[in-house]
Amino acid sequence: MLTGIPSAAAERTPPASLEDALVARYTGFAGWLRANDFRVTSTDVAASLEMAQRMGQLDSELLRWSLRALLCSRAEEWRRFDALFEAYFLAPNRRKLGESKAGGAGRIETGDTAGRRDASEGTPLGHDGPGAADPDQVPGKTAEQGASVEASLAHADFRHLNQPDELFAIDDAIRRFAQRLRGIQLRREQRANNGRVVDMAWTIRRSISRGGMPLELGWRRKRRQRPRIVLLLDVSRSMSLYSFFYLRLARVLSARVSDVHCFIFHTRLVGIEQALRDPDPWRSQERLQLLSAGWAGGTRIGDSLGEFNQQYAAKLLHSRTAIVVVSDGYDAGDPERLQQSLAAMRRRCRCLVWLNPLASRADFTPASAGMQAALPYIDLLAGARDLASLERVLPQVLSALQ
Amino acid sequence: MATDRMSDVVSLQQRLEQHGFIAERSFAATLLLTMEMRRPLLLEGEAGVGKTEVAKALARLLDTRLIRLQCYEGLDAHSALYEWNYQHQLLAIKLLEQDSRPVQDKEQDIFSERYLLKRPLLEAITTTPAPVLLIDEIDRTDEAFEAYLLEMLSDFQMSIPELGVIRATERPFVILTSNGTREISDALRRRCLYQYVDYPGFDKELLIVRTQVPEVPEKLARQMVEFVQSVRQMDLQKKPGLAETLDWVAALLRLGVSAIDEDGVERIMDSLSALVKTREDQAGMTRPVVERLVASC
Repeated sequence: MLTGIPSAAAERTPPASLEDALVARYTGFAGWLRANDFRVTSTDVAASLEMAQRMGQLDSELLRWSLRALLCSRAEEWRRFDALFEAYFLAPNRRKLGESKAGGAGRIETGDTAGRRDASEGTPLGHDGPGAADPDQVPGKTAEQGASVEASLAHADFRHLNQPDELFAIDDAIRRFAQRLRGIQLRREQRANNGRVVDMAWTIRRSISRGGMPLELGWRRKRRQRPRIVLLLDVSRSMSLYSFFYLRLARVLSARVSDVHCFIFHTRLVGIEQALRDPDPWRSQERLQLLSAGWAGGTRIGDSLGEFNQQYAAKLLHSRTAIVVVSDGYDAGDPERLQQSLAAMRRRCRCLVWLNPLASRADFTPASAGMQAALPYIDLLAGARDLASLERVLPQVLSALQ
Repeated sequence: MATDRMSDVVSLQQRLEQHGFIAERSFAATLLLTMEMRRPLLLEGEAGVGKTEVAKALARLLDTRLIRLQCYEGLDAHSALYEWNYQHQLLAIKLLEQDSRPVQDKEQDIFSERYLLKRPLLEAITTTPAPVLLIDEIDRTDEAFEAYLLEMLSDFQMSIPELGVIRATERPFVILTSNGTREISDALRRRCLYQYVDYPGFDKELLIVRTQVPEVPEKLARQMVEFVQSVRQMDLQKKPGLAETLDWVAALLRLGVSAIDEDGVERIMDSLSALVKTREDQAGMTRPVVERLVASC
């Protein structure tokens, strides 16, 4: 019977029998998948041995299908499985092939190499964060037509994403925000200990222990549910002073509130939800690094939002979704395209909030072509460029969401 | 024994086909595993690719009951697991007041299975022979309900405080489907086998159309499937699924279309409401677009 997993001692000596060799092979495959970001547990290893025995191991196709059904648990893994299976079981030079196929999503580089890469590419980002930034450096009205359509080739440096002090301060603000976010009142009712309408079924149920005497009444009350929040962050060059602040905000928000979905956009749209939610901060940083190609480059807001509508809107947006767009509105694309995208978006969601970092300045007027196009579809336009101004804005955002 | 497993898979595939369900060989292998190991099967994929149909076909194949739990937001344990029939219990209490039996007996009587309303999950584990339990659109429920499901899916048992633990007499075949509206927890995923269902390719879709609508002529069926396949390549908000294809084929037959060519463009335009179902998409299917699609068929 192939049931156990070989002990460390058994692994060191060459496998004695065919069975041991097989056990080692399947355990190795599970480890290979785990290294490539699959969630495989030790029970899965035992199950895959059982499965291999049940389905036979001589037919590679059959083995592939059964292992795929057992070891994959999401669509993304499903798509990568075949390549990994081939790399492990079929090709002799498996390591090399596998690494190129896996896209490096799972492997963590050491801090050293990551640092060197950044130094050589010379990212144009302010590492000090928005607190120390000089607001005069913000591109002013001259940048109105100055946005570029080119994607930047540089990767951003995410080492400062996990700065403890700033994170704690943001966390504090977001915690209060999450507490006050009471949610949208639904039609559906739920049982409650007090309310306006008596829940007959529950009252009868409660009275059974008292022989049918309704001493305690049960009530019904309208359910409230927190809105789903979709965060779309502009990380183009003109936003580079604020991008990190908002990224920290996104990380804290997705840790505090459950139903949050984050995307960054510049010339195209990238989902960063998974990377942000990674419990390991270093790995999260690493994954963001891989996603950040095009960071601080040009802007095509309309196209990016259109891409969102195309790919994610059907899945993410419902009548209780709040979309928060963070952008300065400097768009190199066609304003008409932006208008279309926003109109389509507005129809599907509950409210659309636009946070413009420049809007917290006294002399701000939404003059840029992008802002002009966006204005008719926005429920709330507010400015927030650092923590202090964010705290002023949050109550407005709260009232817009409810 | 190991060598003839492939023939088992092939024979299952053929039997599925006899029951009106076309499956690839790999899918048949997964279904075979589901049936043998009695592990729940999680199907993910876009809406309208025939996920629900899998459960129906399986139930027909095994000649057993199909118990369906349609999930929705706010679905709670009472409507999924079981509920006490309070009104009857109350009546019974009143009637038992005159009874001279000891209190314990009365209590046992009131909390007996007679007053238990079985909802789909409880029904699934108490029915013999093992039924097919379809938990449809699991992603629409909330996390709380997922947690309820965990106990049931790993041990196939359910605890009812007043009655004790009810164990499955025979493990049901469980199929869960999801559209990916919400991320399902890893705990639930780990307990299931997994299969991603994609839009069918040309050959598969043609075969499905031929099986489901046998009266459609061979050439027309080919053209229609080709048309639908190229519509799916377009930049649409909601791509047509299998169900839409079948609807559309039926609609065209009803309109009396015998071949897809330039003369039939008018009628094809009329019938497109069966295929594309949002305003933007319908606006995108202009006459020139349809003509181009027709010409390429």
